[in-house]
Amino acid sequence: MTYPEALQELVEEFQAVDDKRERLEMLFELADEVIELPASHWDEQTRVRGCQSEAHVSVVMEDGRIQFLSAADARMVQGLMGILTIALDGLTPAQAVLISPAFAEEMGLLNTLTPSRSNGFRNMYDKVMNEIRQSMEG
Amino acid sequence: MGLRDQFPILQRKVNGYPLVYLDNAATTQKPQVVLDAMNDYYSQSNANVHRAVHTLAGEATEGYESCRAKLKQRFNASKVIITSGTTEAINLVAHAWGRANLNKGDAIVLTEMEHHSDIVPWQMLAEERGVELRYVPVTQHFTLDMDAFEHALDGAALVCVVHTSNVLGVRNPLEDIIRLSHQAGAKVLVDAAQGVPHATIDFEAFGADFMAFSAHKMCGPTGIGALLVEPSTFETMQPFMGGGDMIETVTTEGSTYQTNEHKFEAGTPRIAEAIGWTAALEWMESFDLDAEHDRLISIASWVAQCLRDVGMEVYGRHEADDAAVVSFLHPTINSEDMAHLLDARGFAVRTGHHCAQPLLTRLGISGTVRASFYVYNTREEAEGFVAEIREIVEKFA
Repeated sequence: MTYPEALQELVEEFQAVDDKRERLEMLFELADEVIELPASHWDEQTRVRGCQSEAHVSVVMEDGRIQFLSAADARMVQGLMGILTIALDGLTPAQAVLISPAFAEEMGLLNTLTPSRSNGFRNMYDKVMNEIRQSMEG
Repeated sequence: MGLRDQFPILQRKVNGYPLVYLDNAATTQKPQVVLDAMNDYYSQSNANVHRAVHTLAGEATEGYESCRAKLKQRFNASKVIITSGTTEAINLVAHAWGRANLNKGDAIVLTEMEHHSDIVPWQMLAEERGVELRYVPVTQHFTLDMDAFEHALDGAALVCVVHTSNVLGVRNPLEDIIRLSHQAGAKVLVDAAQGVPHATIDFEAFGADFMAFSAHKMCGPTGIGALLVEPSTFETMQPFMGGGDMIETVTTEGSTYQTNEHKFEAGTPRIAEAIGWTAALEWMESFDLDAEHDRLISIASWVAQCLRDVGMEVYGRHEADDAAVVSFLHPTINSEDMAHLLDARGFAVRTGHHCAQPLLTRLGISGTVRASFYVYNTREEAEGFVAEIREIVEKFA
């Protein structure tokens, strides 16, 4: 799988680390990369449903480019949001929807990408991509 | 061969570390004898049951019915319906007994400690039949409010209660609950999914009218469980699922049904799973379950205290009859993060609401981390778990 350059670099960076605990620590640091969606903006529209943690996302279009705002109470989920923030930065919706969720597996962070109650990332990714697709239709 | 050595999966590594499996309240691992029994069945005897006269069909029927016989013997029960698990067993009571015996104005007593599988079927029936649901609250000591329970019994037709909480490990005072319920004229259904792995229950002496449980929480296969039914109550149940195997005769005008447990087992049953479960039940006779339980609750109690010492909130009391389940939360480390950090070192624990949202709502939380111990877990594993938790707290709190 190939990704936009910034995401590809991150994938390779994670793949170079053998120890999963170290990879999680790297991920937790990336939680700071999100453009924070303030708690005052959290509502049922922004909530990632079916997520064990409290997680919220919002996709805003600015001059045809995506701005992705997010927040989660789990560092794990917010770290993955941080990666998605880096990945989506400056992309058009048409470019963004080509990003596969497989990066989370390839980075050795998740064991499965199957949508389920325990897969906060997949639920979050699907919601973000659906919102981006809707913005294309709109 | 030692008990632990009989579980091939416990030899594997996860993320480069030896697996420490502490998610036993979700499902237990399977000893080699269970894997062999299922493999032998598919390799040597696979056929459908109760129908054909050929040799394989006879072996399959014998294997399937041996499971029922073993369950009857182990639990001292005369009516054993084989189901897909606890959830189907409870749904079966709702459909086969509830629809035939409950009507508008009747009341069912539930508790806030129930697993969703012992709440949702009753909510569905209540909606269909106009039955009232009453919930017994859980106290701050993680026990049922027995005064509220007695109050709720007034005019109740059915009491549905969990034997042992899957979140707290608390074993409920079932002897009192059954006695009081019967005095009030109510039938009692016990969800024993977390109870039977830790204690051998004499169903007849116990006195419940229904008891539901699953094989996979006691070293048997997934996809199979049982509903034990008190004989006179059994006679008041109507068939729920129609199909092959549950009938006596079928004409274009109508059908007559079997009178035994087969009446509630329409379709080809879980034959390999039944054979695997029999092997698991026989295997569980190879050691002293009571002694194992004492060892495990001692480990759980020790772990709970160690976790409190590092600032965790622990939900549960860990008394002698409770299950070896430790649910906990750290004030600043998210439970999902905790589970991922533990997984990175080979520790398998559960996080989330554990399918018991009303209980967690009562406790004022949305989820916990849960470590649950079973017969193959060792003191050394528990010590490793505590050490890992200490390291995580030191680094991430």
